[in-house]
Amino acid sequence: MSEMRELMVELTEKILKENCSKELVDQAEEGIWQGKLWKLIEEAGIFTIGISEDSGGTGGDYADGFHVLRLVGKYAVPLPVSETLIGNWLLQEMGLQPETNPLTISIKKDEFINIQEKEQGFLVTGKLTKVPWGRFAKKVVTIGKKEDETYFILLPIEGASIEKSTNLAGEPQDTISFDQTVTELQMKFVNVEGLIEKVQDLQGLSKAAMMSGAMENILDMTVQYTREREQFGRPIHRQQAVQQYLAILAGETAASLTITNKAIEAFQENNDVYELASARVKTSSAAGKVAELSHQVHGAIGVTYEHRLHQLTRRLWAWREEAGNENDWAEKLAHKILNDDKSTLWEFLTRTGSKNPVG
Amino acid sequence: MYKFVLPVVEFTEEHNRFRLEVREFLQKEREKGTYETRCDSWLNGFNPEFSRKLGEKGWIGITWPKKYGGSERSALDRYIVIEELLAAGAPVAGHWIADRQSGPLLLRFGTEEQRKFYLPKIAKGECYFAIGMSEPNSGSDLASVSTRAVKTDGGWILNGTKTWTSGAHHAHYMIVLCRTRPKDSQNRHAGFSQLIVDLSSPGVSIRPIKYLTGAAHFNEVFFENVFVPDENLVGQEGNGWKQNMAELAYERSGPERILSTYPLLEELIKELKENQDLPRLTEAMKLVAELNSLRQMSIGVAKYLEEGKDVGITAALIKDMGTKFEKLVAEMTRLLVNATPSLDSEKTIEKYLAQSILHAPGFTLRGGTTEILRGIVAKGMVAQ
Repeated sequence: MSEMRELMVELTEKILKENCSKELVDQAEEGIWQGKLWKLIEEAGIFTIGISEDSGGTGGDYADGFHVLRLVGKYAVPLPVSETLIGNWLLQEMGLQPETNPLTISIKKDEFINIQEKEQGFLVTGKLTKVPWGRFAKKVVTIGKKEDETYFILLPIEGASIEKSTNLAGEPQDTISFDQTVTELQMKFVNVEGLIEKVQDLQGLSKAAMMSGAMENILDMTVQYTREREQFGRPIHRQQAVQQYLAILAGETAASLTITNKAIEAFQENNDVYELASARVKTSSAAGKVAELSHQVHGAIGVTYEHRLHQLTRRLWAWREEAGNENDWAEKLAHKILNDDKSTLWEFLTRTGSKNPVG
Repeated sequence: MYKFVLPVVEFTEEHNRFRLEVREFLQKEREKGTYETRCDSWLNGFNPEFSRKLGEKGWIGITWPKKYGGSERSALDRYIVIEELLAAGAPVAGHWIADRQSGPLLLRFGTEEQRKFYLPKIAKGECYFAIGMSEPNSGSDLASVSTRAVKTDGGWILNGTKTWTSGAHHAHYMIVLCRTRPKDSQNRHAGFSQLIVDLSSPGVSIRPIKYLTGAAHFNEVFFENVFVPDENLVGQEGNGWKQNMAELAYERSGPERILSTYPLLEELIKELKENQDLPRLTEAMKLVAELNSLRQMSIGVAKYLEEGKDVGITAALIKDMGTKFEKLVAEMTRLLVNATPSLDSEKTIEKYLAQSILHAPGFTLRGGTTEILRGIVAKGMVAQ
């Protein structure tokens, strides 16, 4: 781990441990914006990791950002941190300035905003669905269409009508509609297919990182609980049935963390073959098992709103669907295998096949 | 809290070239008819000629010092060799245990004389070891082992029985975990030692135990007043339990706990690709993603082992998950292809499927059962 990464990870962990309490996450779920925590994260420079200091960022690389997102998952941070971070990476690639106000992203195949250029500014019309944190974000990164050309656009949300909805964890997932809305915006010509692919990878990997972080915390909490809770006159970790569950939890968590870390490195080195898709398949399928078994071990106390466990397990259930579930990513992997028809599976896995010739 | 953090390992171009060198050798040998690919080849594929050839290549004891017949290559090079052997389903059972755990145990705890005597022979692929842990009345509860060695002039007199001993009928030596002191009611793990027993010694008898297929690859081994000379004590008298645990880390962490059914997975993907069957290939990718995750963990542990880190708990964790995966490959394959498993089928996939299903029960028993491994993992986490 680089020194920069160690510092960022340490700093983030400190901020989140001290400030992102159970009560704060509860409040956020009631619809209260956690501006104080946002400010702390912003001041730590987390939203511009991976953007050079010359361009107004914190420095470091994508991998540093993903390791910080693991902690965002670990502490169930109820703010659009991954959206703002990834949004800024996209802005940087488009040659635009990073933002410190909350950003959200809505890059989907069939959704776009129609743009007309008028004297008073741009006139925008269109509907974006299931936009994470839509009601709190200041701007959305999305796709615009103007006279049959497609663009990457950065669009203020003010002026749009918002239909509120939430995911399983109570995180906002809103519909944003623009109807002949007059606005300012920034736009860049873009290849939409490439952009969609890129955003899927970025969001997919960020969710893998966040899910592994959440699992890490759930494992810690569950082990701790089995030390404290006594039944039949002794702590429940002494029961073999409980030990079996703990080991499965540990295995699913360790495997998720390991393949996600591998995928982060591969992505950073622009060298991803199967790592990212594998990380998504693994973390999404592990999520269900980890949620189920941690609840089983915690017993009735774990299913109360009072207990912290649900803040993490509900996030696992929500996130495993977001940016593609394990089936979607398995299909991506299947396409990769079909496209590399000259290689055997073993050549594909060891990166020694026709698509990865050894020099 | 115990953390299962493993390093991210990247194979270099040089590693990949070496991998291809190993692969090319294996391909040529298969074409020559030296061996036939099979599942679970590390326990069932016995071929002394092939072991000797690997020895000539320098690929047994590959990490050991040159003065003991090794090649002084890295743990990752070793990892490459063994996973290529397993993926090819090559017959490595003869030397496997000696290379994997007996040699490393002697390197770590053995005397200079022991290293000089045994390691070069192992590295040549001419000297095989068997594991001497389980007994008729000591399976998962290894600390109840009752094979006993009593001190005599110049050595020990060994009495007892070891069982489920894979390859004992081919092996030259066994490292026997035995009691050299009476039971201590305060400490169940005290009073054990490890002895190297020459299996051709008077008083040793080996009786095959047929596996459920009818084939005999494991055995019961009886010791009746077997004389074991002093110089065959491994490490310290009384330190056997600790040494044995270190040996188990080598035994549990390797890719053979993930890849026993790999030849079947390769065939499955080949067939689904040929059929351009996207929905079933998608299902099969869940196996591939699991394999990728386990493989990264296992490579990470190999790296940590080389750095001398204690990986006992993580090794137990990987063995548990890996052996479950090996079984899942067979269970999913039967639902994804039209195949009737049969050991004598003409169709490769049906043959591998039969081998995998029939050998599967052993995967989660040998080297520590699922339940014992999970107990180790859980207790390890709770204790920290």
